[in-house]
Order: sequence, then structure tokens, then C-alpha cells
Amino acid sequence: MLDRNVLYKAYFTKDKLVHHHINSFNDFIDSGLQKVINEVRIIETNIEDTYVKLGAIRVEKPTVTEADGSVERLYPNDARLRNLTYASPLRLKMTIVQGETEKEPVEAMIGMLPIMIMSQVCNLSGLSRDEMIEFGEDPLDPGGYFVVNGSERVIMTLEDLSPNKILVEYNQRYDDFIEVAKVFSQRQGYRSLVIVERGRRSILEVSFPSVSGRLNFVTLARALGLETDMEIVQAVSDNPEIIKFMLENLEESEVATKEEALEKIGGRVAAGQAKEYQKKRAAYVLDRYLLPHIGVDEGDRFAKALFLARMAEACFELALGKRGEDDKDHYANKRLKLSGDLMEDLFRVAFSRLTRDIKYQLERASMRNRELNVITTVRADVLTERMIHPLATGNWVGGRTGVSQLLDRTDYMASLSHLRRVISPLSRSQPHFEARDLHPTQWGRICPSETPEGPNCGLVKNFAQGVELSTGVEDYGDVKKMLLDLEVVPVVGRRE
Amino acid sequence: MTVPKRIGKISFGLISPQEFRRMSVVKIITADTYDDDGFPIEMGLMDPRLGVIDPGLRCRSCGGRPGECPGHFGHIDLIAPVIHVGFAKLIRKILRGICRECSRLMLLEGEKRMYIDQIETIVRLGQTTDDIVNKVFAEARKHKVCPYCSAPQQEIKFERPLAYVEEGHKLTASDIRDRFEKIPDEDIKVMGMNPDTARPEWMLLTVLPVPPVTMRPSITLESGQRSEDDLTHKLVDIIRINQRFQENREAGAPQLIIEDLWELLQYHITTFLDNTVSGVPPARHRSGRPLKTLSQRLKGKEGRFRGSLSGKRVNFSARTVISPDPNLSINEVGVPLEIAMELSVPLVVSPRNIEVMRDFVRRGSDKHPGVNYITRADGRRVKVTDRNAEEVAEQLEPGWKIDRQLMDGDIVLFNRQPSLHRMSIMSHRVIVMPHKTFRLNPAVCPPYNADFDGDEMNLHVPQTEEARAEAEILMRVQENILSPRFGGPIIGGIHDYVTGNFLLTHGDRRISRLEVMEVLKKLHHLEIPEPVGWNEAGEPYWTGKQIFSLILPRGLNLEFKASFCKNCDSCKREACDDDAYVVIRDGKILTGTIDAAAVGAFKGKITDRVIKEYGPTVGAGFIDGMTQMAIRGIMLAGFSFGIDDEDIPKDAEDQIEDVLNAARENVTKLIDAYKAGELEPLPGRTLDETLEMRIMQTLGKARDNAGSIAGRYLGIDNSGVVMAVSGARGSMLNLTQMAACVGQQSVRGERIRRGYEGRTLPHFRRGDLGAEAHGFVQSSYKEGLNPTEFFFHAIGGREGLVDTAIRTSQSGYLQRRLINALQDLEVQYDGTVKETRGIIVQFSYGEDGVDASKRDYASPENVHRIVQRVLKKEGA
Repeated sequence: MLDRNVLYKAYFTKDKLVHHHINSFNDFIDSGLQKVINEVRIIETNIEDTYVKLGAIRVEKPTVTEADGSVERLYPNDARLRNLTYASPLRLKMTIVQGETEKEPVEAMIGMLPIMIMSQVCNLSGLSRDEMIEFGEDPLDPGGYFVVNGSERVIMTLEDLSPNKILVEYNQRYDDFIEVAKVFSQRQGYRSLVIVERGRRSILEVSFPSVSGRLNFVTLARALGLETDMEIVQAVSDNPEIIKFMLENLEESEVATKEEALEKIGGRVAAGQAKEYQKKRAAYVLDRYLLPHIGVDEGDRFAKALFLARMAEACFELALGKRGEDDKDHYANKRLKLSGDLMEDLFRVAFSRLTRDIKYQLERASMRNRELNVITTVRADVLTERMIHPLATGNWVGGRTGVSQLLDRTDYMASLSHLRRVISPLSRSQPHFEARDLHPTQWGRICPSETPEGPNCGLVKNFAQGVELSTGVEDYGDVKKMLLDLEVVPVVGRRE
Repeated sequence: MTVPKRIGKISFGLISPQEFRRMSVVKIITADTYDDDGFPIEMGLMDPRLGVIDPGLRCRSCGGRPGECPGHFGHIDLIAPVIHVGFAKLIRKILRGICRECSRLMLLEGEKRMYIDQIETIVRLGQTTDDIVNKVFAEARKHKVCPYCSAPQQEIKFERPLAYVEEGHKLTASDIRDRFEKIPDEDIKVMGMNPDTARPEWMLLTVLPVPPVTMRPSITLESGQRSEDDLTHKLVDIIRINQRFQENREAGAPQLIIEDLWELLQYHITTFLDNTVSGVPPARHRSGRPLKTLSQRLKGKEGRFRGSLSGKRVNFSARTVISPDPNLSINEVGVPLEIAMELSVPLVVSPRNIEVMRDFVRRGSDKHPGVNYITRADGRRVKVTDRNAEEVAEQLEPGWKIDRQLMDGDIVLFNRQPSLHRMSIMSHRVIVMPHKTFRLNPAVCPPYNADFDGDEMNLHVPQTEEARAEAEILMRVQENILSPRFGGPIIGGIHDYVTGNFLLTHGDRRISRLEVMEVLKKLHHLEIPEPVGWNEAGEPYWTGKQIFSLILPRGLNLEFKASFCKNCDSCKREACDDDAYVVIRDGKILTGTIDAAAVGAFKGKITDRVIKEYGPTVGAGFIDGMTQMAIRGIMLAGFSFGIDDEDIPKDAEDQIEDVLNAARENVTKLIDAYKAGELEPLPGRTLDETLEMRIMQTLGKARDNAGSIAGRYLGIDNSGVVMAVSGARGSMLNLTQMAACVGQQSVRGERIRRGYEGRTLPHFRRGDLGAEAHGFVQSSYKEGLNPTEFFFHAIGGREGLVDTAIRTSQSGYLQRRLINALQDLEVQYDGTVKETRGIIVQFSYGEDGVDASKRDYASPENVHRIVQRVLKKEGA
């Protein structure tokens, strides 16, 4: 038989046990920060023709500013002993644009970013055993945590239901069970839950944020650009049984054209407003709040219609027994949020706070007729405080608590286990029997034995020894190219 | 000294503005607290007439010192009336029920009379009037035109948080108050209120009482800065706004500003009363922390009711880890010396005991049975130290009290949480011991549900003679051996106690003189019976049954089946091959083995009978003797269990293998039959369910068969079997899982089905319905499980963990609700059960008036027994 010890030896020598944290944080440093900056792109102001262009962001090595103002390199153990925060200055290139004239780009210190120990920007990375000892560090310490105000904080790995994935299930409505298809559409930290449900008499209805109640599916499809009955039916399915259901839906149709459909939706999202505004608002709601992961532009509406049609098909298939309810506890339907992802969420909110502050400061400076200067308007503490406070308390953006925890130093094993812990956001006070069960798909990913006894049983998990995490890709270019090479027809605008 | 007063009656009502003014000692007009010199400002929020908190000062109202003076209310005159948030809903109801013009309740005279009659009847019956009052308002609201003045009525909309809108106009608090003032007294009665104690207009405040400083003390920080209580902060806000409101109104400010200020005053008073009203942003401290105002002090787990009044803390108590000591009596508890020297029992010095008391005092507080404090006749307390011990001892006079340290023989209460039944608190006699844990006899673990894996328990020392008497008569461990839950002993042998007795008494075990002495070492004044015989060397020997009989009381007659009785079709009784039929005649065991059925906790038949016939003292003595005998009995035989005790011969293993293979084949056959459509569904089941059930059945049977094969090779000489069979610990199932086959793993009663699409694990083919693919573990624990088996076992094991975690929290909540519902019920001297109002709940306790602990497992058996005994007596 194959000697599996060889395999495990390879696992333990190749990577550190906490590589998931370190890799994730490195990704955040390499691309996550810049991604957030690029999302914002410019800071607009209320001063005429004036805005700030944002450029490249750069992370320095962790430093400390001493009482006398001198800046020195900081090592983690100093931070631990002196109750300091192990953080690096962030420098961002910013350019003030006034009308046609563009000032010289200036690099400003926008705040301090807490740095994960043993990550690529950590002062310890790449040090030899003896050098580590020199800096007061245990060479066997795996890193993967932060030092905030002298205490070691671990960002927990969060387990969440997979976003942008259609899940079908039965829901109870009064005495009936109805089929629903749900998707958590996620874009840049904004989550919107879109539900397509097959109500009584097979009528499809859709609900999504910012619209109270439910919208008729056919109305929505027409508004999104599937105008004719033919198109709608074809988009949903070519199964004759499903087509029959769809015909019932079309018979109940409230509107006949795209214009009418938009008006109808406008009446729902902005009741009692002017007709023109209603239509504008309807279009805005469809672009921003309906399936934002597909896109937020007018051009993405057709793709959204097709996505909704797929959800509708899933609903009918469940009703016809062609597929079963999706298993929410199947690990394929779960995604893990690692420290880098969570730091990105944090940074996004902190940075938007900073941009608002910069805007305010610029406007104030302009009111007093001062020369506009980026360096003086950036108040680095705004961002620093917003980064450090959640990390120190565990109260993350979005109201989640317990995201960062004090690293368990009971012994070496306790620390390792803590760094490899996964927590589920399900409430511990409700039974949730199914979610607590050990699911066979956790084989090789989650340890079958290690879970706490008591109220958190089965909700707090630990990685299995050989777990390997794959990360999502930001750029779908290659995937798209491959699909196109396979003669897949892209969905852009109207299908001819 | 004030004369103690008895509360005759409490009635609830609203406080009128006049009442507020009457109870006020000072009108507060300035928002300032202290002047520059740190003295309280007159007519300010810290006015010295409101009570004192600074040591050394005296109250200007009652002359009391801090701690004596309870504090006195002041008041603030509000410029305009303000709604009291607590009554917002009621105000809405009344507004809708009365006429907007003439303020009469919009019901016809006849209806009003009818409702008043109903209310009076229901009040006489002592029930709540809510339902009738709600109906009154609902009926009154239906009138669109006032039946008295014919004024048309308008819909009154209630807008969160505190606005009443009529015809698009907001009603001001003054408007509402004006309307309420006009409501005639008779109408108020119909609304279920008493117009003398609760006029509706009093729900709108015109005077705000200022709580005494004693309930909002300011604290002085280390820096010398004063920090005020949250309530004081809120009162400052109220006074400031009230003043500004007044200035603006006198200056004739525009209506808009007046309204704004009024609203602000309303906001401050609302948050002063309750800072968690939905729709009202909570008032915050400068740091952003929401203020803790009046209702926050009362509400919730840490509030005044649940936190301060129900959750009392006590003195004279101790808590530490528990550990076992089989040499203690069940009535005793070992107390660490350190704890004994801290806890004390108050004793009164009398001429008869003064010399003994002097001895205690002389020892001081550092030498064990010493004295910590003495209380002189005039009530002055003196701490006894090494230095003053001798002197105080000489001064000792009758009438003084000494706080003697806890010593051997004192009665204490012993408790382990959760206190789910009355046996969770029992009283024990103290035995002072070295080291740091409480010690108890393992036989008393079952009532406390305690074990020694780090459990902690609490100990309380009763401080009065009455409490001690009650503890000794009602709460002693020996009084609680018989549980009122099922009428049998809840205290008895567990684990090794049962094993020890089994080993000692099973069969005709010969015990030499030396061994007899060893076993009886700790038992007192026993007569060694005649030996049953002499061995080859001419040495006498006894049997274990003989030895055990020594602790049985004379005259005890009992016959029962032992715990390991196989329930044969025809019982051979005394001639039982397994020695499982116990016969006791006149306190002598003739046949049978002593095991869990005889002396175990929950089951012990002998314990039960001894207590019921000879009383708890003899019963406790029996348990003590039994435990002493058992631990020496087990040491005599020697007892261990290891992995080689699960060894079974090769051919047994082969047989098990065959059984399991056959079972697997049967499962395959079932699946084939199912696939071929030949499977007959069971009544009321679908085909799929039938298949699952049949498979479970087959596999279950296979495991049992494998177990019984293994069991055949594990005889009574196997220590695992001894434990399982005697009822000491574990079961035969546990043993067969170790030796033969672990069996089917299940989640919520079904085989494991979830997982990947069409299969549980990728190790199996899609659609495989076979045994292995759905969690059948063929290996035994000893052999070890293969990876898939291990994983399925973990799945099954997780379910168990989750179940226990969920169950404990749920049952705790259930218990709490039950206790809340039943806590006030009381059994009266006439045998009825009444609640506090004197309403009878049961005419006879438990509907039959029977004490469950005296009725032999709720069976009619005791009637037979009594008949037998009487007959015997008559015959003699």
C-alpha cells in the first residue's frame, strides 16, 4: 500500500500550518488594497470642477513613531512587550485636479495598516532561525495573527453560504410549501438576497432588496429586456412541462412591453412620485439592487434576465421533482472568508470614511481660500482608528462580533488550533441540528473530531490536517477566453 | 427603634401631582449640583434635604446619617404637561374611547352599568380585569358620534413613538390632559380604574418627582473630580430644558420654538423613564454609551427584580472542588481546614457552657476550633486575635455571643447546581480534614448528580437554632435516601461498590479469617459468625454471603431477583443456576448475589426495605457498612479491565465474520429485491422506507448476533462482564462493541444519507445502498475502524454531542418555567394544596395525598407486604 506518511510529510514541510492566513493577507496587500482604491477611483468635492484622483497604494514595513517623533522599525515582540500595534504606514498617490489643471501627484500617508505576523511585509519574513531568536521571536511560531495594542489577535475564518449561487428549497408559507430559488448576490461587500418563488397557481414572483413585497416575474423579465412571450419562455426552459407553467404565467401577465413593465415597477419602488422619476428610480433599482454581482450597468440587464430565468427553471424543476432541495450544509455550497477578505471589508469601510473626511477637509480649506494640499487634508488617524478598533474588539463592520479573538496561548497546540479555526455565523442559541452535524463532504477539509462541546458544538470547526484552500479569481478573462474558444455565445445585449 | 409594621394590603394606582408635591421635601429649580467649594447647592439636584451620601454629614430632612437616612424625594414643576411613556398605549385607548367634546366614555348608560357589574364580580373573584376593560374600549371606539353630545368623532392615529394625530393635527399633552380632566368618575370606573387612586390625567406629568440622592450617588474619582450618576445627568437635562421653555414662553417666543422645546422636554422625560423606547433614539453619555435610566435599573436579568431581589448573595458559605472519600459516612462531608477556620457558628454564652466557650476563645482565631468574633451583650463586635484572645476569654460573660469556627459534628447544608430537585441541597455533618477539597462518600453522588471530574459544590452554615433543627430533621442525607420521585432509594452503591459486593457475595466464595478481618476492619461491634467449614489445613473459612449478612438488620426477610437475572421462562427461584435469586431470611442471605438490584442507587431493594422497616438511621448505617465492605471486598479480589479482556478466540472471530458477511449478503439481497420491484412494502410505509427499515433490522440483528457470539466467550470471570451484569457500569452492548462489532451509525434514527450527490462519500459508487456506504461499522473498537468507518462513527458521535448540548439548555429553561408556575403552591395542614391567594389547587396533595417516598415504587406491593407481616404477627 502507498505510504501515506510521505504525503503528510510533504504537507508539513512544504507549507506552514497557517498558510491560509498568510497567503490571504499577502493577496490583500498585493491586490486587495489597490482594488478598493480603484473602486473609489476619485474623491469628488462640492468645490467647482475639483476632485482628487487616487493612484497607487504602497505598504511599508511596520514601524513605530516614538515619543520624540523618530520613526523606527518595529518587531512583533517589541509590540507585544510595549503594548504597541504592529502596523505599517500606508502611502497613497493622490492628485488634485482643478478644472483642466492637474497638480503634481503627491504620496500621502493615509493611515496605519495592522500587519499580519510572518506575512510578506512583516519584518520577520525571510529571517533565519538565529535572526528570529535575535528579535525575540520563537522560530517555531507560525505567525498568521496581528498584534494590536500589545495583544495578539487572530482573525477567525468565517464560513458562509456560497454567494452568487442558486440554491433551491421549499419554504413554508402558511399551510403550503412553495418552491423558492435563492441567491446571495454579492458585489464589493454589498450583499443582496434575490428570491424567485413559485407561488400558488405556479405564478412566479421575485423579491429583492429595496422593493417591498414581491414583483411578478414576467413583469420583471419584460423590464429587463425579454420583451416577447417567446423570448421569456425560451429563456426559462425548453422542457414542455415547464413551458406549460410558463404559459400560465404569461396569461397572468400584467404588462405587454418593456415601457409598461418599467412603469409598473416604478409604481412599486417610488409610489406617489412623478411618473418620470418613477421610471428613473425603477431603472436605478434594477441596476443597483437586482443581482448586483452580474453588473450594475444598463448593459447588464439582459444577463440579469437570463439569470432570473435560470432561477425560475430551478424552481419549476424542484416542483416537478426533477431535482431535489439543495443541501445547504454541503461543503460545495460554503465559502470561507479568510483574514485577507475580512481586512478588505474593513479597509473598504475605513477608506470610504477617509474619503469623506478628505472631501470635508478640502471643502473647508477651500472655503477659507487656502491653497488645496493633499498632505494637510489627509487625517491618517481616521483610517488608522477604523482599522485598529475592530481588530482590537472583534466588532467588525456589518455588525458582526467576535471576528477577531485573542490568540489562545495555553500551549503551542492550542495556538495552532486557534489559527485553524472556522466559525459559522449561525446563532448558537437555536438548535440548527442539521448545520451542526458532521457532513460527509467535510471529509479531508474539516476535522471530524475537533469541535467544542456545548452550545457551539458543530458550529465552530477546525481545518483537517491536509486542507488546502483555493481562492477566487478576480479576473475572469482567461475563463471567458476559454469558453469563447469552445464556441460559447456571449450574452451581451439582445440575442438575435 | 421603630415598631415593626405588618403590611395589610397593597393597592396600585397612579400618583397625582398633589401627591408628588406632598411627598417632596424641596422644589428643584437649578440644574447645578455643587458649588465651587464642593458644597451642594440649595434647591439644586444635590440639595441636602434630599438625603445624604457623604460620610459625616447629616440629612437636613430627617437628621439621619448616611446609611440611616433612606433619602427623600424632591420635585420639579414642569412648565407644560408631558406624556408618561409607560402609559402611551393606555392613553391611546382612552383617547379613542371618549368623546372629543364632552369627554364621556362613549357607551350607553345600560352598557356601562353592565360592565361595572362584570368588573366588580371579577375583582371579587380575584382575577384580572384586562379582558373586560379591553372590550369596553373596543366597544366605545365603535361609536362614530358621541351618544351624549352628538359630537362627531374623529379617528385618532397613534404615531410612533409618542404622537396622537387627530385630523392631521398633533394633539399636545395639554389637549389630552384637558380632555381627560373632564372624564366623569363613573366613566373611569367602567374603564377598570379607581378614580380616587388613578385619574387618567395623572398619566400626563405636570410634576416630576426627583429621586433622592441616595439612589443616584455621585462618586469622587481619584483625581478628585466628581462623577455624577446617569439619573442626575438626565435630571440636569430636564431642568435646563424646563427653564429654557419657561423663559421662551414668558418672552413670547414663536409657536414653532415653543413646540420644539416642548418636544425636547418630552424626549428628556421619556428617556429619563425608559431609555429603550423604540423610535426614540437612546440618550447617550458623552462617551457614546447609552444612559442607564429608571426602567433599565429594574428590567432584565441584572435588573433590580431578577438581579438584586431574587438573586441574593449569602454569607457563611464556601465553594470548592469535590473529591471522593469512601471512608466517610453518607451523612458526613469533609471540609478543608482552611474553610472551617473561616466559617463560623454563633453560640450564646451561658453559665453552663462558659468554661467551654472560654477554651474556644482562648485558642484565638489561628488555632483550629477557635473563635473569629465575639459579640458583647451591648451588640459590640470584637475580632478575636492572638493578642487579645486571653483577655477577651477572661471578660466573657453569659449573654455574649461567640462565632466559633466550624468543627466536627456541625450541621451544614451542601448543594450542587443545578438544583433540580430537593435532594440537590442536603445537610451533612462536618468532618474537618486537611487539603483543599470537599470530600463526600461517592454513594451520595446520584442525588447531587455529581462526579469528580472537577465539579464544585457549595456549603452553607445555618446560623440559628431553628435553621439547624430544620436542617437536621428534614434535610439530613439519611432522610432523603428514599426519593419522592419514584419511592425507591436514590442513594446507594455505584460503580465499584456494586462490583465489590458482587465479587464478595457471588457463589460460594471462601474467605479466610485474615480476609474476614480485613473486610470488617472499619465496621464496628460485629460478632463474627460460626465459620461454615474448615479447609484441608484445618483453617476456618466463611462465605461472602455470611459476611455481608452481618450488616443486615436482624429479622429482615426479603426475596427478589438480582440485576443479572436472565429472566428465564421458568424461574427456579432458590435453585437458580446463576445464583441470581436472592433470599434473605432473618437478616441472613441464604442464596443469591448482592448487586445493583440489591444495593445500587435508584434500584437497591435491600436499602429500600431496610429504611422502610427499620428507619433512616439503620438505613444510613446499612449503606455506610455496605460501602465499607464493598471497597474492601473489591480490593480482596482485585479488579482491573484492560484491552486483553476483550480478546476472543480465533474461531469466535471467524463466526462473527461469518455472521456479518451473511448480514451483508442479506442486505444485498434486499437491495436487489428492491431494485427488481419484488420488495413487499410494510403496512403504512413506502417502498423506500421499507427497504431502509429492513436493512436497519438486518444489520441490527447482525450486530446483536455478533455480540452474543462474543458474549459466549466472555464469561462471568471477565471483569467487563462483571461490571455490565452487576449493574456497576457499562452494558453488554458496550462490551460487544469493543469485542465484536460497533454496528450501524445513525443520525436522527436513520442510516447516514447526506453527503455528495447520490452517495455519502466519494469512496463509494453513486446509488450504493449497501451497508458500508451508509455507516455500518463492521470492525470492533479493539480491531480499530477503517477511515470511512471512523468518519461515519464521528458523524454518529457528533449527533450525540449536539443532543446533549441542546438538551441541557432546553431542560433548564423548561425547569425554570415549571418552577415559576408552581413556586407559590403550598400544602396546608389540612392536606389541601393552595396558592398564595388561598385558592385551592388540589383538595389532597397529588390528588391522592400519598407520600411517594413511602409507597414502594408506586406499586401495590406494600399492601401485600403489610398483610403478610400482620398475618405473621398473628400467627406468632
